[in-house]
Amino acid sequence: MKVIIIGAGEVGFHIASHLSRENKDVIVVDRNPEALRRVSDNLDVQVLQGSGSSPVVLKEAGIGSAEIMLAVTNSDEANLVACLAANIISPSTKKLARLRNADYDDYHEIFREKAPHIDTVINPDIEVVKTIYRMMKVPGAVDVGEFADGRIMFVGIRLEEHSPLNGIKLIDLPAKLKGVRPLITAIMRDEELIIPRGKDRLKAGDLVYYITASEQLQETLAVFGKQEPPLKRVLIIGGGRIGYRLAALLENQPIACKIIERNPEKCDRLAERLNKAVVLHGDGSDQGLLAEENVGEMDAVVTLTNDEETNILASLLARRMGIRKCITRISKFSYFPLMSTIGIDQVVSPRLSAINSILQHVRRGKVLSAMSIKGEQAEILEAMAMATSAIVSKPLRSVGVPKGALVAAVIRKEQIIIPTGDTVIEPDDRIIIVARREAILQVEKILAVKLEFF
Amino acid sequence: MHWRHVFKVVGVLTIALACTMIIPLLVGLFYQDRSILPFGIALAATLAGGTAFFLVGRTDRTEFVSQREGMAIVALGWTVAGVFGALPFYFEGECPTFVDAFFESVSGFTTTGASVLTDIEAVSRGLLLWRSLIQWLGGMGIIVLGIAILPFLGVGGMQLYKAEVPTPVPDKLQPRIRDTAMILWKVYALITAAEVLALWAGGMSFYDAVNHAMTTLPTGGFSTKNASVAQFGSLYFDLVIAFFMVLAGINFSLHYQMLRGETLAFWRDSECRFFLGAVLVLTLVVSFDIWGSVYATIGESLRYGVFQVVSIVTTTGYATADYEQWPAMSQLILLLCMFLGASAGSTGGGMKCLRIMLCFKFCYKELFSLIHPRAVTHVKIAGKGVPDDVLRSVLGFLALYMGLFGLCSVLLAGLGVDMTTAFGAVAATLGNIGPGFGMVGPVENYALIPGLGKWLLIWCMLLGRLEIYTLIILLVPEFYRK
Repeated sequence: MKVIIIGAGEVGFHIASHLSRENKDVIVVDRNPEALRRVSDNLDVQVLQGSGSSPVVLKEAGIGSAEIMLAVTNSDEANLVACLAANIISPSTKKLARLRNADYDDYHEIFREKAPHIDTVINPDIEVVKTIYRMMKVPGAVDVGEFADGRIMFVGIRLEEHSPLNGIKLIDLPAKLKGVRPLITAIMRDEELIIPRGKDRLKAGDLVYYITASEQLQETLAVFGKQEPPLKRVLIIGGGRIGYRLAALLENQPIACKIIERNPEKCDRLAERLNKAVVLHGDGSDQGLLAEENVGEMDAVVTLTNDEETNILASLLARRMGIRKCITRISKFSYFPLMSTIGIDQVVSPRLSAINSILQHVRRGKVLSAMSIKGEQAEILEAMAMATSAIVSKPLRSVGVPKGALVAAVIRKEQIIIPTGDTVIEPDDRIIIVARREAILQVEKILAVKLEFF
Repeated sequence: MHWRHVFKVVGVLTIALACTMIIPLLVGLFYQDRSILPFGIALAATLAGGTAFFLVGRTDRTEFVSQREGMAIVALGWTVAGVFGALPFYFEGECPTFVDAFFESVSGFTTTGASVLTDIEAVSRGLLLWRSLIQWLGGMGIIVLGIAILPFLGVGGMQLYKAEVPTPVPDKLQPRIRDTAMILWKVYALITAAEVLALWAGGMSFYDAVNHAMTTLPTGGFSTKNASVAQFGSLYFDLVIAFFMVLAGINFSLHYQMLRGETLAFWRDSECRFFLGAVLVLTLVVSFDIWGSVYATIGESLRYGVFQVVSIVTTTGYATADYEQWPAMSQLILLLCMFLGASAGSTGGGMKCLRIMLCFKFCYKELFSLIHPRAVTHVKIAGKGVPDDVLRSVLGFLALYMGLFGLCSVLLAGLGVDMTTAFGAVAATLGNIGPGFGMVGPVENYALIPGLGKWLLIWCMLLGRLEIYTLIILLVPEFYRK
């Protein structure tokens, strides 16, 4: 399968990295030779220098034989024009564009049906706000994802010293817990991802990923000793696109919201568009201002400025002032591994969101959705089991699930099954698989998605 | 620098090399000659050596290969291949000292074709096949072959590829490096097979046809006959081999385009036009020069002129005539051909036409801007501007090439070799041609070069094959700093 990626920025780079590891033919187009050099030095992909919105360059990249084109440059306009040009030269190529301007929000469907025929429009800001909101709702969660149309939650939490599960062997879990049982699918320990087996113990400090039915979420959190009263007051630092979206979302909930922005003009505009939220003019990392506004009383602080260093500092400050829940926006991927060591666990990234939703669309078809775990060491795939694939009609233990992968849940009509070695997957079941990066290829093989990828 | 990773990759490549020794072993068994035992021992030793390298690096889990590691892997890989490839020569007793065997083996892998064996026809058939086979493997590149068939080299394969095939403007035929490598090898194998058929159809024995095809396509030049191609004395063979030498001197991505039906591919590529034009003009000049002075008829002059010029300019090194008996102008043209070389992306050596072309264009641009001081000009290839860093590296390469040529000839002369020989031997090894001038002319060989001189020429051959930078970087102390 051939994929053309327009834009060699952080998003383009990481998508290219994912896809090239999965043996897809990737061509990256960008105007900047430096950005291209970074791509060609690190990844096994072809690069092409030129403007992605130029028909000549697109032709040279072989758009005619490309199955999918991803327009992910920093400029919405360039992405739109690239899709327009691609549509003229090769109407059969699937086109995906990243458009970040909120003004386009209402036109996503129209773009699909009318002129540029963009098959998918991604606005990572929308995804980020959703992620932030989910994190707020789930106390203690570091990472939250939804599968099977929201019926299944995938939650990552940090195991604390006083948690009742500290030091327990996984095999002993059912004996210890009478009622609901979270299915632990992966553990991050010292930046190393473990797909645990029965003998493995949970340790304080682990980042534990588990799967649960959505209605049992609160109970499972209680099992881990994480319970918090519902959110009442939230402080947002940074009133950019994401800050505004989040504030507007919170306004519709019974949540009081304050928003701090440094730029007076932006404050004006925010105050005009928001009704209940309190807009404050000032610096988010100014301790005086934070104290004045009773930060200590807040249930959560979300730092969303465009400057990640400011976000990190503001979150650290807020933590010191007694806030338990700080959600921090980070853009540089290289910062991710550092975050937990300085005590900032809840991190969001518009770029990571963009990558996740794009991957999901690239794999669309039998793989329904995909999400990568922090640090990109593993992915969670939701897939439809087909009658012809190797995984069905056999007990799981004889399917030969590759090393480093785990079938975490099976959804059969309305029922959610936590599989054992004897479980037999039937056609049209939805399966949720956690797979380390190196096992993804083999997982795709046993799902036989290769035959009808799209 | 992840040395373990370097060792691991080199180990796997060495094990793969051991596997290729099975082929001459089978040939030896078929002919029941004396190469069976030497190959058995060499195979076992290579396997053991490769395993040892692999065990040193087995714990390595590196995923990222930096440019530095890529160069280290390629440089070490080629040296190690040279050492293990020498074992059959040494064990069979054809070479009295190990340096002779090492020289013959490196001359094979680097597609030079310089030999220290005096009586080639006395050598066993298994060993002669090995001699041709290592040229064939080295021609398209052992690392490129590794990338094509060993999936684990895919990660970081581009770094290795760039280190082994250092063309000024690298072209990737396919998005994935493995597919690119695979295509190149397939095209290479296909053209080789075509030549085997063409020679066999003309009446050459199948064994000789295979050997000559396997040394023509890599522009290597090892023959199974004492007098090289001259021994056959056939116009048909001369023409077929000359034709395939020219093909081997053309960028293999053009062959790929041609096979896909783009019939104008050769013509559209400016380097290819330059190369074919140079071959044509130089052939005519040389043939005219030797007409009357050496050969009586224009037909004979053309026959020997074409073959010698093509053989030298593509850096193959077969001979059908002793060009040292030719007039001075023809000899000098052949000497310059050794520097010119074939196209970038071909299996030929030398400085490469593309670099010479860029150098000419750059000089013209300098002259132009003396006349129009305010003119803004670019050096262009095929209508596209060549980036400054590419130009810089080309000029740097030419300077290094000439510098090393000078230095190595002085060193060789210092070992007691006469001036013509020193010049000729260094030019012929640095350009991976084979026959030079003087003591190492087309009818003599390298057996009489002193031992230390052989080490020096081994170094020159590796430098030439890996296009200098990859190998010489190992001498820069900065390379080893953490």
